[in-house]
Amino acid sequence: MIQHFPILSIMVLFLGAFLVVLVGRSRIARTAVVSAAVLTSFALMVALIKPVMIDGQIISYWMGNWAPVSGYAIGIGIEVDALSLFFGLLVSLAVMLSGFYSFKYITQDDSPDLFFTLYLMLAGGVMGIVLSGDLFNIFVMLEVMTFAAVALTAFRSWNPNAREAAFKYLVVGSLGSTFVLLGTALVYGQCHTLNLAQISGLLSVNGINPTMTFAFALLFTGFGVKAFMTPFHPIAADAHAAAPSSVSVLISGVFTKTGVYGIIRVSYFLFKSMGMSSMQTGLVFIGCVSMFVCVTMALNQHDFKRLLAFHSISQIGYILTSLGLCSAIGIAGGLYHAINHTLFKGLLFLTAGAVLYATGTTKLEKLGGLARRMPQTAALFMVGAFSISGIPPFNGFVSKWMIYQAAYEKAAETGSIGYAFVTVIAVVTSVLTLASFVKVGQSVFFGELPVELENVKETPLSMRIPMWIMAALCLLTGVLPGLMQQYIINPAVRATLDYKGYIDAMMGEGYAAAHLADTVPLAEAKYTFAGAWDPAFWLVLFVIVLLGVTVAMMIGKSGRGAATAIADDKHDTFFGGEKNTFSQVGGGDLFWGFKYNFRRYLNVMGNAHSGVVNDYVTWGVIDLALIIVYCFIFM
Amino acid sequence: MMLVNYIGAVLLLATGFYVMMTKENIIKIVIGMGIIDYGLNLIIVSIGFNEGGTAPIFTMSELKPGMYFVDPVPQALTLTSIVIGACVTAMALTLCIKLYEEYGTLNSSHIRRLRG
Amino acid sequence: MKNTDNSDLIVKCLADKFLPLSLVLGLYVILHGNISPGGGFQGGVLVSSAVLLLYLAYGYKGAAATISGKILHKGEAFGAICYIVFAMLGIFYGFNFCRNVLFSRGEIGDIWSSGTIALMNYAVGLKVLTGVGFLLMLVIGLLAADPAEKAPDASEGGELK
Repeated sequence: MIQHFPILSIMVLFLGAFLVVLVGRSRIARTAVVSAAVLTSFALMVALIKPVMIDGQIISYWMGNWAPVSGYAIGIGIEVDALSLFFGLLVSLAVMLSGFYSFKYITQDDSPDLFFTLYLMLAGGVMGIVLSGDLFNIFVMLEVMTFAAVALTAFRSWNPNAREAAFKYLVVGSLGSTFVLLGTALVYGQCHTLNLAQISGLLSVNGINPTMTFAFALLFTGFGVKAFMTPFHPIAADAHAAAPSSVSVLISGVFTKTGVYGIIRVSYFLFKSMGMSSMQTGLVFIGCVSMFVCVTMALNQHDFKRLLAFHSISQIGYILTSLGLCSAIGIAGGLYHAINHTLFKGLLFLTAGAVLYATGTTKLEKLGGLARRMPQTAALFMVGAFSISGIPPFNGFVSKWMIYQAAYEKAAETGSIGYAFVTVIAVVTSVLTLASFVKVGQSVFFGELPVELENVKETPLSMRIPMWIMAALCLLTGVLPGLMQQYIINPAVRATLDYKGYIDAMMGEGYAAAHLADTVPLAEAKYTFAGAWDPAFWLVLFVIVLLGVTVAMMIGKSGRGAATAIADDKHDTFFGGEKNTFSQVGGGDLFWGFKYNFRRYLNVMGNAHSGVVNDYVTWGVIDLALIIVYCFIFM
Repeated sequence: MMLVNYIGAVLLLATGFYVMMTKENIIKIVIGMGIIDYGLNLIIVSIGFNEGGTAPIFTMSELKPGMYFVDPVPQALTLTSIVIGACVTAMALTLCIKLYEEYGTLNSSHIRRLRG
Repeated sequence: MKNTDNSDLIVKCLADKFLPLSLVLGLYVILHGNISPGGGFQGGVLVSSAVLLLYLAYGYKGAAATISGKILHKGEAFGAICYIVFAMLGIFYGFNFCRNVLFSRGEIGDIWSSGTIALMNYAVGLKVLTGVGFLLMLVIGLLAADPAEKAPDASEGGELK
């Protein structure tokens, strides 16, 4: 009976979506159907924790009982190992909490029955991706998920920017799906099968031909589009800002994780290319660029949700960096950060939604001093802000510490200074994240209450309960990292590095040994997690950072002087201390001096995010070309 | 085998990418997405072709065991891909209509409120 | 039908004659989906072209008077639910999902020879018929609506094969 649980947990979401269409008009029936669907799906996933994670069993399920015939897979398979179950738990938890939040939140929009139909289709599509064992099934569910997300982005008819955001999201998103489909077709042409386990058995890095290198680059870039890798991130900022908040939780917390899951399956399982140091460097480079570019863009933003979206993408950069290191602690840090990111980013988006519900705006200039009227929302926001900046005892601290340690150990092990530089970038990004959130907290919750916001009320109770549950989980996963590691993260890490078990579970015993004679081995799963706090390492790190800052300031000196000062009405107030009656300095200008010093870089970045859809497509195609060239040179 | 098909499909993909990158009218961008779909479908169908094979249909005992037939799996993949392409085109054109109502123009460099 | 405007008499006549033909052809393609090329999706699109024929001949008002959007919308959900129920039959009988449990009747070439596959095919045909028809009605409504009247929210997402 246990083996039916994965497919039931996907189908119950789709069944709920179509039932909502039939009974949608009446509010009670709709609430009942949606609650039943998300609760059932979550319960089925939780029921699978004991067999799969604790006992180590891998559930392999062939649809229609089409078992493999003489070593060839002919049916569509569903395979749930600890990695899939990890992502499945994350997805169903986020869907459940965000679903309960939406019951009250969506009363401000029209047509709630259409909202819940699309919401459940999005949830079902994402569950279909993480539990599936067949490459084309992943593609179809990817498309279902993209359509539902685009339709939900365009949902609000009273927001004039929503249609533009949805159009850009559709164009670039379908570009990503095109890459995935092309990669799948090429893989099928080589292996004549679509089953992940069998493809993984047939392909090996030492025997790879140029067509397969091309297919790897395409699949990697395609899943990277869904995970909002660096050149594809401007659409994420638009989509998060335009969508309703409960959908922003799903896009940032769940949708991006399927891109990360796809990258793990392609790099670690199908092509087994992560053992090569050039591939590790490539993924770490992409992660670092994502982290740094997005956190500096976030300093410039004037809209609450757009700023949260940029931070979300920079945290995905952390996850990609950590997964690219390909050591046991690196993968553990990446997966831990994935679940932490869903929790704290979900909490932050839900608080943004509560602010929008109460006041009707998300622009930082118009908000201020809301902590007096909405104290619980302000407390929840502070929990989220501390978690994302990596402050103990919340969960961001544990996972970020693991990522710093993983990068530093990799630098010590391989002796290359590049990985120490990665640690420096990660720490600097963390500091800039904290700076951003101090600024947002000051602008939105502390400070002066404007006159038109005198009558805002606290968030309704049914919206506060999911937020409190998420905050409690943030605290719990930060305070009990040992339990999380033992029961949830370590089985997933072991499953990532153990592709032989995955293949044997689907295709029968002995298949892996017969076909995988010569492959590059991945890292051993060492579990000496003692936390080497050696003061000498940190002194070296501090000296590197100090040298870097000195060099940057000396180069930057050429931009000073009266000839290059731009006319800005806040310049005199900040730099000269002049008294000014109409200076327009508000809570959002907390780091104005910092922004002024780096204004050339921020201007270039701001112009690069030009808002024209052709530019985004051009960036995407150029990035695909670069990744193809990189793979051909180094694989 | 089928070199003409592959060259034609790659030319269609290149044309589709060119249209999506350079044309400013959003309807032309949607047409570019359609041309990319045509190129993809042509590649998928051509992958499954076996020389001298017959159609994989069992009706009226046309196909005897041991006969050589064309691979049916890419045909199913292409069918799904055509359906998905039709849905993407429908959604994109609906968004174009709503964008025209809101912005009054179909030029993508004027539809730029979200930037920076 | 009442001919109030004689300028498109030819279009109206041809539409009247072709409408039953296209409906019958579409239903034939749906029903024989498991034994001949075609099937649910292709037949469903053929049947839903009836909406376009009505629009070409009689305009938006004529098409909307004949075809009701609400019934199409509910019919689409009904088709999808039927598909999921037929697929779950496999689990109720003790096998895996999507198992062909009604297989043992008829031989190759009959309509009923493929068991559950035929029933799932009809469910898909019903879903595509109603879904594409509703989509076409919405898009035609958007194009033909007055500026004063609020156009309906036309975002159709998701399909199930």
